[in-house]
Amino acid sequence: MIEPVALQDFFITFFSSALIILAGASYALLFAWSKVNPNFRIKIAAYVSYAVLILSVVELTQAAHFQGYWLIISLAMVIGYFFAPIGIWHLCVKTHAKSTP
Amino acid sequence: MNTSGLNGVIQQAAALSDKSRLYLNNFKAWVQLDSSHLSDGRQLAVKYFTVAVILFFAQILFGLLAAMQFIFPGFLYEILDFSVNRMIHINAMVVWMLYGFIGCVYWFIEEESGTEIVGLKLGNIAFWVLTGAVTLVVLVYLLVQIGPGKDSSLWFINEGREYIEAPRWADIGIVVVMLIFFYNVVATFSKGKWSGIAGVLTLDLVALAGLYTAGMFYMTNISHDQYWWWWVIHLWVEATWEVLVGVIMAWSLMKLLAVRRKIVETWLYIEVALMFGSGILGLGHHYFWIGTPEYWLTVGGFFSALEPIPLVAMVVHAVYDSGAHAFKNGNHPALAWIIAQAFGNFFGAGVWGFMHTLPQINIFTHGTQWSASHGHLAFFGAYATINIAFFYLAIQQWRGNVWMGGGSQNAWRWKWALGLLNGGVLGMTIALLIAGYEQSFIERAVEGSTWGGYFTAQNHPSFQSAMVWRLLFGGMTLAGFILLVWDLLTIGKGETRKAPEIVEI
Amino acid sequence: MNETPLWASESFWKKTAIWVTAGSFLILVVLTMDSLSKTSAGSKRVPAYNVINKKIDYQLNKELHKSMPVIGENEFLFGKEYTEEEARQLVDLGKKTTQAKNCMNCHTLLGNGAYYAPDLTKAWLDKGWISKETREDMMVKFLMDPENNARTFGSNRKMPNLNITEQEAKAIVAFLKWMSSIDTNGFPSNFKTIEAEE
Repeated sequence: MIEPVALQDFFITFFSSALIILAGASYALLFAWSKVNPNFRIKIAAYVSYAVLILSVVELTQAAHFQGYWLIISLAMVIGYFFAPIGIWHLCVKTHAKSTP
Repeated sequence: MNTSGLNGVIQQAAALSDKSRLYLNNFKAWVQLDSSHLSDGRQLAVKYFTVAVILFFAQILFGLLAAMQFIFPGFLYEILDFSVNRMIHINAMVVWMLYGFIGCVYWFIEEESGTEIVGLKLGNIAFWVLTGAVTLVVLVYLLVQIGPGKDSSLWFINEGREYIEAPRWADIGIVVVMLIFFYNVVATFSKGKWSGIAGVLTLDLVALAGLYTAGMFYMTNISHDQYWWWWVIHLWVEATWEVLVGVIMAWSLMKLLAVRRKIVETWLYIEVALMFGSGILGLGHHYFWIGTPEYWLTVGGFFSALEPIPLVAMVVHAVYDSGAHAFKNGNHPALAWIIAQAFGNFFGAGVWGFMHTLPQINIFTHGTQWSASHGHLAFFGAYATINIAFFYLAIQQWRGNVWMGGGSQNAWRWKWALGLLNGGVLGMTIALLIAGYEQSFIERAVEGSTWGGYFTAQNHPSFQSAMVWRLLFGGMTLAGFILLVWDLLTIGKGETRKAPEIVEI
Repeated sequence: MNETPLWASESFWKKTAIWVTAGSFLILVVLTMDSLSKTSAGSKRVPAYNVINKKIDYQLNKELHKSMPVIGENEFLFGKEYTEEEARQLVDLGKKTTQAKNCMNCHTLLGNGAYYAPDLTKAWLDKGWISKETREDMMVKFLMDPENNARTFGSNRKMPNLNITEQEAKAIVAFLKWMSSIDTNGFPSNFKTIEAEE
């Protein structure tokens, strides 16, 4: 069912897992910032973060020997972390809008 | 002869009590706190906060003793063994955080419901009963420590199950006190008015109390034992506590930053959906290796990957808010601790949690200092910080809502306390991370988890020096704590400026 | 001004929160019932208590890619064959003693607990007991007087004397033997047992 990480891949496993969360948050932060402050460079930086996230997911997928339905987790992270900040941003805008009584 | 001896003892006791009363009065004169600034309900809340701070101290103290034993194994051997120190270290933590949460709820319930606490007298009695019981439990931990392998030991000494060691009589007592607390919450909201915050709080407290009873049974079968044990620990810490903090945060945002109720409550619901949606089945990551079926590997792995989503949501929301309005705030220490909460929660629970949670790597990290590393940063980052922020909010009101924003006197104290506490915990976390990394490598992967492998890893120079660093950073944490208490007792003393009124935006 | 769309409204998220929580909890309850039945003593994953009458080993199963407990022929504990009820009572006393002595705040059991002393999951199978002939005796002696039978592996860390009686010590050994037969999905990995050939 699972294939434990090989000894030489320990570091890459810890590092890529940490990087997934960090890059995910950094993408979310920069994405939201680019909405507040429409600046081309911030937007680029956001997508660079997301690219780091994808690379980390690929690394983790290989190091942790994801196969079969374990790949759903990789896919969920790639898709989830891309769309979650966008969705949450829209929620922020809409929930904060003063609704007409 | 006999009576004169007795008289002597009585006189000494009387002298001692006079002396302690004198010290207490001197202390009260020094802190200059005027309780007439607080409603009766809030006076009950600050009682809870006071005990919380004392237990926080116990947590640090016994943590230091246990840390010392890693370096000097003979230290307090057969007097206060590691097992005793470690048990008090983690129990004090659980209990001080609960005291803090209960205090927070008593603090805001009157304002939120628009009426006085219904069973205030009962609440006060429950406070003293709980505090007496906690004292007794700790004394038994310290003085009796262990018992024979009989039910009576589990009923009266300790249950020997990590985090919920409290003997069975105390379990029942805790449930009774929680029911009184629950009654107070429900009755007060029923008499006053209900709100979204009140609803989430009530349902969360039902879950909190109900889950605790799942940990009150003895089972021979250790797989079943640990199965239910994790129900209590995980569903408390990674679900109901998180939501409780969400409730406390929601109320604080509304009152401190004047965010509209409708927004706060919508976001509270969003947070509940995200946290319970990922957290309840995230329980699976504790069911990898305790005998439970293999499907838990997948369930646990999948939901653990989702658990950081609520944290990402907070990041986005924080940026949105900072763009939408510039906040004026009259309590800088509280705000700083809330920011520390955001970072601590993100790194402790999010990054540190995910690093070692997938079963492919967890098979090597499970049961090593990795868990301790994650535990230190996550508990401190997610829960200690928010409680400390609330202590500052409470002390501000206790002083009569004085200015605690920019340009305050002796602001270095809270800044240094903040820096030392966060730096100390972060330092311990990194030291334990190094120890855990080495352990998973040498003990687990190379040596295959034998006893020989365990000790090879423990004796390794990198592990040994990590333990020294952990102790040093523990000392830094203690220094931060001492400064924090000093600051809490003195901040705002002599301040005449009032905090600004906060208007809705 | 624009209306708040349904998906951003308070009532929508209130309902979502309730449904998500209730749904997750329901799934958890179903999985819990399944897990409890699959881990009851006497199941495939958690053997009956009289497994203490058998030889137990833990070997890598190449097909399944993980180590699995292997239950062998008769190998009585303390030279006695226990009925299921006797075995249950003995393991029960052992388990209760591990709780009353607070073992979990130094050791880990199934990997859970504190990290000041070695994991007990496969303690019965550990090579530290040198040979199968001396194992039972060494374990009982160690439990009853750990200070004078200390096995510190050069760490100077000694188990304190916990006033364990002989009856309790034997029961703990039975509990450890039974625990080593639980199928823990391959945890710990790469463990070489006392049975393994050098």
